[in-house]
Amino acid sequence: MDPLRSYLGRLLQEEITPVIMVLSTPLVEDACQKNGLNFIELLLPFSVFNKINVPVRTASDQPYRLQMFKLRLAYASDIHLQNYEAAEEHLKKVVLDASQKTLDDLISEPPQLENLLKNSESDLCPSWIETFNKELIRTLSFSEHETFDHPVACLLVVSSKDEQPINRFVDILNTNQLPSLLSDGVMDPKVLKHYLLLHDNQDGSPEKITSILAEMRNTYGSNCKLLCINSAQSANGNGKDIQWMPYGSHVLHNDDIACFLSTDDINAVRDFMLDLSSNYVIPHVEQKIRILNQQIRVLADYAFMLRDYELALSNYRLLSTDYKLDKAWKRYAGVQKIGSSSQRNASRCGLWWAEMLKARGQFKDAANIYFRISNEEPSLLAAVMLEQASYCYFLSSPPMLRKYGFHLVLAGNRYYMSDQRHHAIRAYRNALFVYKQNGWSYISDHVHYNVGRWYSFIGILDVAVKHMLEVLACSHQSLATQNMFLNDFFHIVQSMGKKFEVYKLRLPVINMASLKVLYEDFRTYASPSDVHVSESLWQSLEEELVPSASTGRSNWLDSQIKSSSKRNDESPVCVAGESVVVDLEFINPLQVSISVSEISLICELLAKSKEPDTGSASHTAPEEDSELKDSPSCRDSNSDGSSFTLSKLDVVLGGGETKRMQLEVSPKIEGLLKISGVRWTLSDIVVGYQYFEFDSKNKEKKGRRARRSLSHNLSFIVIKGLPKLDACIQHLPKKVFAGDLRLLLLELHNQSEFSVKNIKMKISHPRYLIPGNMEDLEMDFPECLEKQKSSRSKETPANVMLKFKNLLFSFPDDSTIQGGTNFTWPLWFHAGLCGRISLYISIYYEVASCSSDMKYRILRMHHDLEVLPSLDVSFQISPCASSLEEYFVRMDILNRTKSETFSLNQLSCVGNLWEILALPESLSIHPVQTLLAGQALSCFFKLKDCRKVINTEGELTWQGSDLLMISHGCKEAMTDVSRSPLAEFHQHERFHQGKSAKGDSSIVDFILISKMQGNGHVFEPGMQPNTSSRCPLSWQMNGPRMINHDFSSSFCEANFHLRIHSCSDAAVIIRLTTYDTLPEKNQSSDGVKLSDSAENEGGWHDISLVNDMKVLSSVHGNRPKKSSVDTLSPFVWCAMSSTKLKLEPLCTTEISLKICLFAAGTYDLSNYELHWEVKPLEEGIVGVTSSGTAHGHPFYLTVLHAPR
Amino acid sequence: MANTACFIIVSRNDIPIYEAEVGSAMKKEEAAQQHQFILHAALDIVEDLAWTTSAMFLKAVDKFNDLVVSVYVTAGHILTTILLNPLYLPGSRITSSHFDTKVRALARKYL
Repeated sequence: MDPLRSYLGRLLQEEITPVIMVLSTPLVEDACQKNGLNFIELLLPFSVFNKINVPVRTASDQPYRLQMFKLRLAYASDIHLQNYEAAEEHLKKVVLDASQKTLDDLISEPPQLENLLKNSESDLCPSWIETFNKELIRTLSFSEHETFDHPVACLLVVSSKDEQPINRFVDILNTNQLPSLLSDGVMDPKVLKHYLLLHDNQDGSPEKITSILAEMRNTYGSNCKLLCINSAQSANGNGKDIQWMPYGSHVLHNDDIACFLSTDDINAVRDFMLDLSSNYVIPHVEQKIRILNQQIRVLADYAFMLRDYELALSNYRLLSTDYKLDKAWKRYAGVQKIGSSSQRNASRCGLWWAEMLKARGQFKDAANIYFRISNEEPSLLAAVMLEQASYCYFLSSPPMLRKYGFHLVLAGNRYYMSDQRHHAIRAYRNALFVYKQNGWSYISDHVHYNVGRWYSFIGILDVAVKHMLEVLACSHQSLATQNMFLNDFFHIVQSMGKKFEVYKLRLPVINMASLKVLYEDFRTYASPSDVHVSESLWQSLEEELVPSASTGRSNWLDSQIKSSSKRNDESPVCVAGESVVVDLEFINPLQVSISVSEISLICELLAKSKEPDTGSASHTAPEEDSELKDSPSCRDSNSDGSSFTLSKLDVVLGGGETKRMQLEVSPKIEGLLKISGVRWTLSDIVVGYQYFEFDSKNKEKKGRRARRSLSHNLSFIVIKGLPKLDACIQHLPKKVFAGDLRLLLLELHNQSEFSVKNIKMKISHPRYLIPGNMEDLEMDFPECLEKQKSSRSKETPANVMLKFKNLLFSFPDDSTIQGGTNFTWPLWFHAGLCGRISLYISIYYEVASCSSDMKYRILRMHHDLEVLPSLDVSFQISPCASSLEEYFVRMDILNRTKSETFSLNQLSCVGNLWEILALPESLSIHPVQTLLAGQALSCFFKLKDCRKVINTEGELTWQGSDLLMISHGCKEAMTDVSRSPLAEFHQHERFHQGKSAKGDSSIVDFILISKMQGNGHVFEPGMQPNTSSRCPLSWQMNGPRMINHDFSSSFCEANFHLRIHSCSDAAVIIRLTTYDTLPEKNQSSDGVKLSDSAENEGGWHDISLVNDMKVLSSVHGNRPKKSSVDTLSPFVWCAMSSTKLKLEPLCTTEISLKICLFAAGTYDLSNYELHWEVKPLEEGIVGVTSSGTAHGHPFYLTVLHAPR
Repeated sequence: MANTACFIIVSRNDIPIYEAEVGSAMKKEEAAQQHQFILHAALDIVEDLAWTTSAMFLKAVDKFNDLVVSVYVTAGHILTTILLNPLYLPGSRITSSHFDTKVRALARKYL
């Protein structure tokens, strides 16, 4: 391999060469200065020989041929060790010079791995580093520790103009010009001496000179030469094409250089140097080697000079032990009091060593050497060493990129410490690709932050900002660091003096997955929260509302397709003048709070008229990509901002805070609206913008999350402005107590100039909310509920039910809402059941002017409210013992509120079939008029069945189903429960319970009307329909209660009548069965079950009379057990044990019964059962055949023994 | 006895999935980034060495000044954490606080 191709080779060729000490007289220099050169500079170009081809024989007997060779020339006065400071300055200058050259590179993009791998080894390492190494080595020239720089020969030059030239040779040798090293004896004093006589041809003929030369030869032997220069007549010599100046001489090149040198002169110089090398220097060193064979170090160095690498290597092994003992070196240095120069020697030694390792491909080891040098050197030198170490890692196979990056960063750090910012940046940015996009957060922050900062120091602010941007989202850093990063970033941006626009600014973080688009086509929403309700829920609600879902939709779509057939069918539609809202999450990842202002969307509106010009959508697609590169401000200038308006929001995000922002855009004209991204201003300094990007995978996800299927570029077809209704329900509370009845006002507002017609409404929960009548508005609430003096014809519940069967309410035909006007309609609200409830309301309306693409729209409203428990009311009904038509009603009320007090106003039973009466004994129904929080109350009423009366007499003798509960003194008006809205709510409650509207006439529904004190709300939690019985029968045992009988004569017989009344509208077949032992059912468990349900069940529930009886008779529930133990009943039923008969509707019959008693005592004659079966009147009527069994009521008979 | 330690689990594609600075030394950001640098650079050595040895525990594989790097390489370079947590998605960050406390408790034992 050509040694010149490797750096080590070149270094060896240039630096490890014999030094010739030059001693010259002033006249010699004068002659040379005519050419603008000194004597050494004159010889310098000819001191390098590429093919000297001299045979050499050193320690071994095997000769070899030396090809490349160089002589270094130095004035004797320069042969001394440079002082440390001067050396440092010199090195710094080299680095500084290089830094000026790197400035251009710093602006360009940082290098990437691929590019670096493509580059050759020499391109990797900046060329100035080689220079630096060379200069570093040179600063240590002429030290006493190595002999590389010790002159091997001495060139004595005397001018022919000098007086007594022969003596001058001796003079210059004897003056104390000689280097101290030589005189101290460190260097070999017996150097080869070469005598040269320099003749200036301008001074005249050389005749005299030959005689001087001859004399010299006589005096000094054959080592005498003559050199003639300045032969050229005019000042245009032939030496112009020769590179005269070496690096670092810093002499300005001018035309005077070498102007008097003729071709002959130059050839003469060249010949002289060749002669000097091959005939004198090399043989001399050869001879020295042979002499100094035992002095290893000197030997090694000399061997190096003569390219005997085998010998050199063996000697470098020795050197390496020196290096390993570098601590010993330091101690040695301390003793010698020569300071850091000894360390520098070790470094220099290491440098050589590293170069050799590199030449042998042991890059890792070389890097280690560099690293160790760096540990001991001041920062600048350490930086250069570390940088070289990094290149070694890069060059090792396989490349150790992480080590490369790490050492570059270390180097950069040292560069920065020694004020070499350009180099610091260069080192860091070269390492950037190593740390690109991985999770090593601290590393990446450190690198970017420092590079950014340093760029800002040297004034390249745009690049500085680019790097600073990378560290903004540093949530893992401490609060102080985050503050520092942020402040530095703002400072840099501010010093740029302009608003800076950053694509994908990382502060705040925008959660793209959270993106939701809310827009209104034919579906409009009263408030943004309504949109989050699932579409299917709305659709099911609107099933009957919308003309016909499929055709209706296709209608306007069809027309849309016609108008713009090229458009993607999936493109959603929005209306001009109405805003499209993008709902997006902004996250502050930092602990520092940040202010974000002017958050707005980036949009583009292609006016409809322009569409033909731009062609199809696919045509514009490639443009979009290029547009995405633009900053939003450029795009703003392209499109006039008049075609749409954007909302601008300001927000302050606290540390770690996430906020959802609703960004709006409202197009003003028809066309195609594209929402492409979002922009914001951070701390009023930096503008960030980001475009919405959807890859296909994301799109799927989004489709599910957002309500509608979104086309990937968020583009909307903007259609002509349409009327739009706004709605709100006034006075709708968030929290109400169960049973609360309120009059609400639905307010519709038409913002547009067009009128709308054919308004329809559907409410999801008519149990809670029903539309009222226009008349309701004319009266005050709650007075409108009171009974009217002029009794209007009552709407029967059945009619009400019919009206709301499909739960669809059409506003009167003539109700149109003109543009810009309001429209109100009453709504009745009744909190039916405790818990959370969501009410959904859809309002359908049609556009009066049919010119639009859209025929109708739907307004959707959604309200969540919570119903709190208020009064628990339960009823127990037991038949009256004395009358078949009368029942006892026990009403238990519990106030379950925390702090509210209720006053009880009125108890009503629904319908005109039942009459509720106060018990005659009690004047006031209950002692207290109010019910405090937590209080419970029981009161008793009498319930009268009026059906029979109606049937028999055919007219109303019925006194009223309402009972005023408050004291007589108070003139409180009765509330009419048969009127709207109470009747409607009652029907919905029944409907909810799954009972038919017609209802079983054996069911009685109670309505309790109460008021909450403190405010005037009418409460009617007592609207609790409770069925009196499932059993269609009521019966009564008639007979003697007490008998005196003499049991000594015979047993006792007693006759009874069982009077059975049918409450059913249908015929009932009855079978009476008597038992001598009581059928023991699990009565107690039934009782428990009932009491449970009575406690837990709020609202509506049924209580069967039979079960009631069990509860009430639970006291004696245990009694039959005793009798069963006896196994023998003390009495037996006589006559028939089973009777079967048919009872016509609402008829009464009697069955005779007889028992035989054998002993005195008290007996319960309840051990009989009534089996009943209701037959429908006609076939095809709703009622299914129902049947059941009822146990006998307790009837106590006391028999006394009365002996006659 | 070392008074500082940094423990990092790195997934196959060089991404640190778990980091813990443990030890009694003052917690400085400087240290955190220096440790990251050193450990990151040591991966080069580990990468080299992991294929040449059958040992899983590579003690003192690299050093930087007086900081020594030791590595535990899992079989097939797949993290053992997969076995610990079946819900773990390879390459994602370990966020379990339970794991974190375990690591720190273990570290306290040896520091």
